[in-house]
Amino acid sequence: MSTLLGDLRAFAAAGAKEFRILRRYPTLFLGFLFWPIVLPFAYVLQARGFAGDSAEASAAFASRAGTSDVVGFLFLGFAAYMWISMILWGPGTALRTEQVRGSLEALFLTPASRLVILFGPAFSQIVWALYMFGLVGAAMVFVFGIHIGLMEALRALAIIAVSVPALYGMGALFASVVLRFGEVSALVQTVRGVFTAFCGMTFPIIVLPEWGRAVALSLPPTYLIGGLRSALLAEADLVSLVPDMAILLATGLFLCGAAVVAFRTTERYARRGGRLAQY
Amino acid sequence: MTAASGPAVEAIGLVKEFEKGRRTLWQRLRREPDQRERFRAVDGIDLLVERGEIFGVLGPNGAGKTTTLKMLATLLEPTSGSARILGRDVVREAREVRRRMGAVLSDGRSLYWKLTARENLQYFAALYHVPPGLQKARIASALAAVHLDDRADDYVERYSTGMRQRLVLARALIPDPELLLLDEPTVGLDPQSARDLRDRVREMRTQGRTVLLTTHYMEEADQLCDRIAIIDHGRIVALDTPAALKRTIAATEVVRLEIQGAPMSDPGLVARLGQVGSVARQERQNGVLSLTIHCRSARDFVPAAFDAARAEGATIDHVEVVAVTLEDVFLALTGRELRE
Repeated sequence: MSTLLGDLRAFAAAGAKEFRILRRYPTLFLGFLFWPIVLPFAYVLQARGFAGDSAEASAAFASRAGTSDVVGFLFLGFAAYMWISMILWGPGTALRTEQVRGSLEALFLTPASRLVILFGPAFSQIVWALYMFGLVGAAMVFVFGIHIGLMEALRALAIIAVSVPALYGMGALFASVVLRFGEVSALVQTVRGVFTAFCGMTFPIIVLPEWGRAVALSLPPTYLIGGLRSALLAEADLVSLVPDMAILLATGLFLCGAAVVAFRTTERYARRGGRLAQY
Repeated sequence: MTAASGPAVEAIGLVKEFEKGRRTLWQRLRREPDQRERFRAVDGIDLLVERGEIFGVLGPNGAGKTTTLKMLATLLEPTSGSARILGRDVVREAREVRRRMGAVLSDGRSLYWKLTARENLQYFAALYHVPPGLQKARIASALAAVHLDDRADDYVERYSTGMRQRLVLARALIPDPELLLLDEPTVGLDPQSARDLRDRVREMRTQGRTVLLTTHYMEEADQLCDRIAIIDHGRIVALDTPAALKRTIAATEVVRLEIQGAPMSDPGLVARLGQVGSVARQERQNGVLSLTIHCRSARDFVPAAFDAARAEGATIDHVEVVAVTLEDVFLALTGRELRE
């Protein structure tokens, strides 16, 4: 069996293993049913509380957000945020879990590529993400009466797909931190906080000051969130989404490259200092 | 498993140094030179393990056994020296080395407890790139080899410690390796589980595999190994078959004495006993003098010891006569006991 084929199979096996373990904690499914629906709904109520039925407020929102659909705007922002959180935590958490569990050395003893160990377990989260986006989409269509056609849904899926390398790249950079410093949660929380503050999860980024907008435009999640809203709420065609998708893809390639270099460097550091099993 | 020629393991001048203490963030930011003291966990080890043998590395905790094994297993990079596993360099051809060997460097904690034994092995079969068509048979064979085939579909969390350790061994068999590296494989096991695991290791040899194991249990090394390297402070202090190592002691029996009333300052009693045997170790605790003496015949030595004690006004409270063991070899070589 060729090495590449072996690694692809190992990659799938790593994702399947994680998913199998998750399945053995069935109460987790309840949480995944709850969060994507209930949390954004709280923001919807908050918006209603602030603006009420004011036509002036709605018009102001529409002029800034590019859509008058507050519910769709918030649900998509929140779904994207959950997806981003999952992937940011994914590789680092997977590595950290293996380290604390005591299985990391056993994994490093195998001939599988380090990329399998890094990305494979987090791959199972794509299944969760699809489940979550499906749930959010269903809530938007059946509960809030937002129209989502097949082409809009496909365009949204394309945006999600091109965001994968960028988000995994960031997650993998965090995983390198795990090998170097052991703990990564403080850093992930900080970055998540920056994304919440700048990427327009619950607000249009146009309300940010100029320097804040510059920060927002330098962060990949801004393009994911903006692209999803454009595809599903503003019914933007694929051509108008291409610039956002290209930026996401280019950032993704750069971040993945940086992550591979960082991971190799920290792995070497860990192998020199005997820190693979230390946490 | 494919047969080939050349040694299974070859290490030349293997050294591993670690830094003592830590370097603060402030020191790093200021780019201050790293002035930490370094210590050698492994200090120039030369090793040649032939194919098909069970080779033991015996030494006390902290002697450098695990560090040596981790370097051979590609988990640690040597500071200097080189090592080849089945003809492949452990640094330059690490992935090829991993492909060809199985290793047990951790305990049952390294398994996925929420998976069954079979599911654990399925995952590792994929990581070891075992072709899908061979996986089922390979897993069945590994489970049978460690006598877990009847519990293959139980969650690992329901296993005993001994069963988990056997499953870790089964995991190491998944690549069908010619070489197995086992680090203290029986630590923490009850005597029966340890005996059972040792039986499994012996079977590995009959299947034509080479086994390199570390242990600090002299009985384990004695019973299992064809050859043993005794390691202390990161260096090999002796290397031979267990029988040959024991022959290096100029004695056939070991006598352990506990003596009351031996004068503290007067070395007369020890000197007298030294005339009829070789005093390998002496220790005084709570007024009791404990001696370990190597002699050719306990039958001749023990009466002489009683005479000597009586002449010095002391009383022998306890006499124990045992055959020479690897513990005595270690004691003779280092002046310390393995368990210290």
